Amino acid sequence: MSRTDQFVEQWLPIIGESVVETFQMVGISLFFSVLIGIPLGILIVLTRPGQALANKFIYQLTNLIINIVRSIPFIILLFFILPFTKLIVGTTIGVQGVIVPLVIYTAPYIARLMESALLEVENGVIEAYTAMGISTGAIIWNVLLREARPSIVLGLTISTVSLIGATAMAGMVGAGGLGDLAYRFGHLRYEVDVMYATVVILIILVQSIQSIGNRIAANIKKD
Amino acid sequence: MIVLENVSKEFNSKSGTVKAVKQVNIRVNQGEIHGVIGYSGAGKSTLIRCVNLLEKPTEGKVFINGVELTSLPLPKLRKTRNKVGMIFQGFNLLKTATVYDNIAIPLKLLGYNKDEVKKRVEQYLDIVGLTDKHTNYPNQLSGGQKQRVAIARALAQEPEVLLSDEATSALDPETTDSILDLLLKINRELGITILLITHEMNVIQKICDHVYVMENGVIVEQDTAINLFTKPTHPTTKKFLNTISQRNLSNSLIAQLNVTGAVTRLTFVGESTGKPLLAEVSQKFNVQPNILTANIIELKNGIVGNIVVHLIGDKEQVKNAIHYLEAQGVATEELEGHSHE
Repeated sequence: MSRTDQFVEQWLPIIGESVVETFQMVGISLFFSVLIGIPLGILIVLTRPGQALANKFIYQLTNLIINIVRSIPFIILLFFILPFTKLIVGTTIGVQGVIVPLVIYTAPYIARLMESALLEVENGVIEAYTAMGISTGAIIWNVLLREARPSIVLGLTISTVSLIGATAMAGMVGAGGLGDLAYRFGHLRYEVDVMYATVVILIILVQSIQSIGNRIAANIKKD
Repeated sequence: MIVLENVSKEFNSKSGTVKAVKQVNIRVNQGEIHGVIGYSGAGKSTLIRCVNLLEKPTEGKVFINGVELTSLPLPKLRKTRNKVGMIFQGFNLLKTATVYDNIAIPLKLLGYNKDEVKKRVEQYLDIVGLTDKHTNYPNQLSGGQKQRVAIARALAQEPEVLLSDEATSALDPETTDSILDLLLKINRELGITILLITHEMNVIQKICDHVYVMENGVIVEQDTAINLFTKPTHPTTKKFLNTISQRNLSNSLIAQLNVTGAVTRLTFVGESTGKPLLAEVSQKFNVQPNILTANIIELKNGIVGNIVVHLIGDKEQVKNAIHYLEAQGVATEELEGHSHE
């Protein structure tokens, strides 16, 4: 049996499991982060001074909260909010336990990326639709979000990549994943091959996600 | 019909209150095209945005077909806005939507059913002459074509009035002409009342029945296009007229010519444009007319001819000649020169 075959036989199931865990963590927390982050981004754009629902208080409060959460590095956030995590999902360990901090870490990031995506939409188009007597709700959906789609997709791509990075620290609470694998086996147990394999898989993963994101964005951009 | 009554708009900025529009009165009758002309910063853009309440006037009232917009609650205001189309300098189309969808999406959002949407999109694309472009995206179109899509989008709501915010200012002269022709066509064929703002005199010349000259938030002069082109009184109006025809000679030249006779601007309008009046003058009086500059301006409702003429002869004869011309319906203006420059 060659060395490669041996490696594959020994490590493939473990690596495979880690890949699945990483996908689980990224998928689930991305879902909830988008659910929170996109409305938050819309809120911060619409309550901005001079916009449709201008409200200084909500605007500044939302800004403050986003900035506070964004100031905390993930590894610290992970432990800092342990009681909150326990309250929400009933546990602080495993994939379940890491979803809450991942969402809290990613949602404000997505909100900021959404903010810049939505601000790119020309005010004139919104004005044209207002002048046609179309309601603010319909304008948000059919003009603002529609026109921002290419930037939203790029923003979500960036968030996903940064989310993959954050899941590497999930091993701290026993959630597994590729980062954890590289750390535990590659680093602590000197299994250099595992380290290389994980890094290569991560590179391929990030490359593919970025390429797919770029392609989708280019496809809906139309200019 | 669009009526603005004593409309004012103030903005609060860090450096204090800015009055962008001051006590403006405008009345555009059904089926007419009125134009507001002014330099940038005159407040005309704010003014036109006050008409559909994109800017809420600080004072005054706005009526569209007798309905007072300024006091309407938002849902009713939206309903009335459906009757007011608007086109813009920047076209304001959805970049991510085809020409067809750019017209169809607002209609769908306004609650029209599928068949009605399709019917209207096709009908108005045909009117603006872009039927073959319905699958294109805005970035594949020229500026003029984009403005046509924007016009079709506005028309598809079947508005009673159309507001045009510098709609031709981003276009080259030839394209401007074709868009102006289109606006004239929809005014004539669909009977749509149009209020436009512009800084280009040729827009006023080509399609406006009535003109307002705006400066520092105030309408400084207003009249029918023909009267305004014939007898402008405000210096700003005269400056705008100079942009389409060289009306002024240098002071020193006029002073030099004044020694041997009068330098007079003759403005011909209506019937007087058809008569060989200068030939008559030279026969009836001992005066020799020497034409210095001349031009003819075609307005929507008539033709205005402008001649600056050096009437050579003795003072009495020249005076009689000018009286005669005035009696024939020619507006005259004696140009004074200052030799000390």
